Amino acid sequence: MFTTGSKYFIALSVLSSIALAVYLIFVGPSSIGGTALFGMIAATGLLAGLALSTRAGATETAVGAQAAMTAPSSSMWPLVSVLGAVVILLGTITTPIVFILGIVVVLAAIVEWVIQAWSERASGDATYNDQVRKRILNPLEYPVLATVGLGVIIFSFSRVMLAIDKSAGAVGFIVVASLVLLAGILFSVRPNLKRSLVTGICVFGALGLVSSGIAGMGSGLREDLAKAAEEDHYSHRECGPEKSEHGDKLPLESVSAKSSVIATIEYVDGKLIGMVQGIEGNQETLTIPRSNPSNLLFRNKTEGEFRLVAHLGERAVTEGVVEKIEVCTQLIPAGAEQLLTLTIPKPAADKPYTLEIAGVEGQSIEVVVP
Amino acid sequence: MNHERTYSLVGKGVNRLKNMSSRVRTGVVLGIGTLVLASCASNAPQDTWAPKGPNAKTIDDLQKPVFAVAGIIGVIVAVAVGYAIYKFKDRGQPIPEQTHGKPALEITLTIIPALILTVIGVFTFRTVFDLSKTSDTEMIINVTGQQWWWEYDYPVQEEFGITKPIITSGQLVIPAGTKVLLRQTSRDVIHSYWIPALNGKRDAVPGRVHTNRIEADEPGIYAGQCTEFCGLSHANMRMEAVALSKADFAKWVEGQLADYKSPAEGSLAKEGESVFINQCVRCHQVNGLKREDGTPIIAAPDENIVSGAAPNLSHLMSRNTFAGAMFDLLTEECRKEVWGADSETFGEKYLSGVSEQCLNQSDLRGWLRNAPAMKPMYANPALLASTGGKYRGMPNLGLTESDIEKLVAYLLTLK
Repeated sequence: MFTTGSKYFIALSVLSSIALAVYLIFVGPSSIGGTALFGMIAATGLLAGLALSTRAGATETAVGAQAAMTAPSSSMWPLVSVLGAVVILLGTITTPIVFILGIVVVLAAIVEWVIQAWSERASGDATYNDQVRKRILNPLEYPVLATVGLGVIIFSFSRVMLAIDKSAGAVGFIVVASLVLLAGILFSVRPNLKRSLVTGICVFGALGLVSSGIAGMGSGLREDLAKAAEEDHYSHRECGPEKSEHGDKLPLESVSAKSSVIATIEYVDGKLIGMVQGIEGNQETLTIPRSNPSNLLFRNKTEGEFRLVAHLGERAVTEGVVEKIEVCTQLIPAGAEQLLTLTIPKPAADKPYTLEIAGVEGQSIEVVVP
Repeated sequence: MNHERTYSLVGKGVNRLKNMSSRVRTGVVLGIGTLVLASCASNAPQDTWAPKGPNAKTIDDLQKPVFAVAGIIGVIVAVAVGYAIYKFKDRGQPIPEQTHGKPALEITLTIIPALILTVIGVFTFRTVFDLSKTSDTEMIINVTGQQWWWEYDYPVQEEFGITKPIITSGQLVIPAGTKVLLRQTSRDVIHSYWIPALNGKRDAVPGRVHTNRIEADEPGIYAGQCTEFCGLSHANMRMEAVALSKADFAKWVEGQLADYKSPAEGSLAKEGESVFINQCVRCHQVNGLKREDGTPIIAAPDENIVSGAAPNLSHLMSRNTFAGAMFDLLTEECRKEVWGADSETFGEKYLSGVSEQCLNQSDLRGWLRNAPAMKPMYANPALLASTGGKYRGMPNLGLTESDIEKLVAYLLTLK
């Protein structure tokens, strides 16, 4: 009565129904999972009906079919699947990334395994079967292998560059690039070079890079980067008139014309000027919506280097200790410009918020958060 | 004679309809019925064919001729296709001789649409540039969208009597006959501001400021709707632009700048103020509201809401709507009186605000009782893990009926 194909879908449908019942009892009736399981029941039910009506997978069609003449070849995919399962297990006790990596490995191994097993029964000709497998899997395998290979190369190279001195890094870069160029020239001028030699050179290069990467990881970050990571000095911006060692390094001096700004602030011949699109004249107050990142364009039109500072009140750090909330641009040379983004969650309680030039008295624009 | 001919034609039409299959007949009747009924709408405040200001008129002046040209071409194409289907349908005749290419016809049929599109393109570009002009702005208003309401803040503009920023929501109030530039942005996702009677659509995008010109010829209320899908209550993210005469607008500004008045001691409203301070100021600001020790109360919506803002309720009863303009603060009768007023008396009626008799108690109390039950919002505390416990919209505060009674009395004082 039931065909082989329909039995599979009927079983899926029944299992989904049981899962739906369990889900509705223990999780809740309005969750998305219930909808998904109901969809599963509907879809498998439909497929079961189709399989039954068309007699698809009926056993009588298989009667008399000859078994594959050759025994299945050895496969590495069961081993890879187990490896993936181990990675999944590791993921459950380490980080979600490892867990996801394990799932990817297991899924990939299952796909490879299934297609290999299927292709070996495609015909009695082993060469033809191998071609069938390659035709299906190579378009997937090559991009994945290329991505993984490139990822390993980039990651290894970056570990080396982060570990060695800046100038040594430049030399290393030149040396590696020269070696790659030389190898490329060699392969192109000697097209009949032995395959084993080409493979050997590539494997040697790859192993060299990966082992250098491992060595780089082992030695850690170079001193200045380690210090920067420890002090986190890039997250601190000093808003005084003096040049900051880290904060004022390589200031961005121009802003894209497509940047969207709520107001333009200019420091012209010692005067601070605020301009807002749509309102004529210079503004002594700027209105900024609360809790919304708002871009101000600061343009320095005065000789010398200046920074725009937004004074946004104070906050309590511990009992009795308060610190000023300040946001500022880098030191901007004459003729240059930079964006300052303000996100102000609350209106000023007592003292108004202001925009000022660091180290310059008497020039101020009030910032109002309504 | 003519009548006989007409009856004869109608009779033929009815007979043809009878001869059709029931499915085709239903389709024809439904199609004609829909067309006829569509022209019957009398209350359509978001009608795109009824401009009430110069910017919307500019669009209208473009869309009508384009629609006419497109309609004529559409009819010609439909008739030609119908004729070809009928004339050359398969009646078992032999397949006619097949020819390939007719350069003169093909070139003509390429050039004619290209010319039509070029002419439409020229006028469209001119309209686009006209609508993006900002140099003739007379007044600016900052418009900030968030899930699912609009905030309006008016920067200092002395010439309109705005000596300190004004903030409101739900209803945008503008002086009629004034070129207003809306500077639009968003706090969370992309929204789109559209009041069809005053201009076309304009997106409000986080991190960007987009400008949008509006101007109303006459005092009145003009309805709008967010037109960029922005989440669960997108359909309920409405807006109304209220145009007042310049004199009435000055009165409105004066009212908005008026200092906060605390309710009289011992009154129900005073008790409501305490409830408000205990329950509502976590998100809602009322300018001038102070604690018992005299310190100003600053709301902290950034700590409770994903967008970091909740409607400022200062002068709430000067507005006609609440909850993102989804609900009326006025009862149906009182609202009809304002919406139906002529341009002469509209300002006076609008500025009278919401009195106790006109307050839509039912919706306001329902909102205070359980806001998420009235407007779909992400406000279930059990499902806020992805937002760090922050709501999108107003949660159910679990207020008692006594608290609601007091709060309504208090809110009525926010004129």
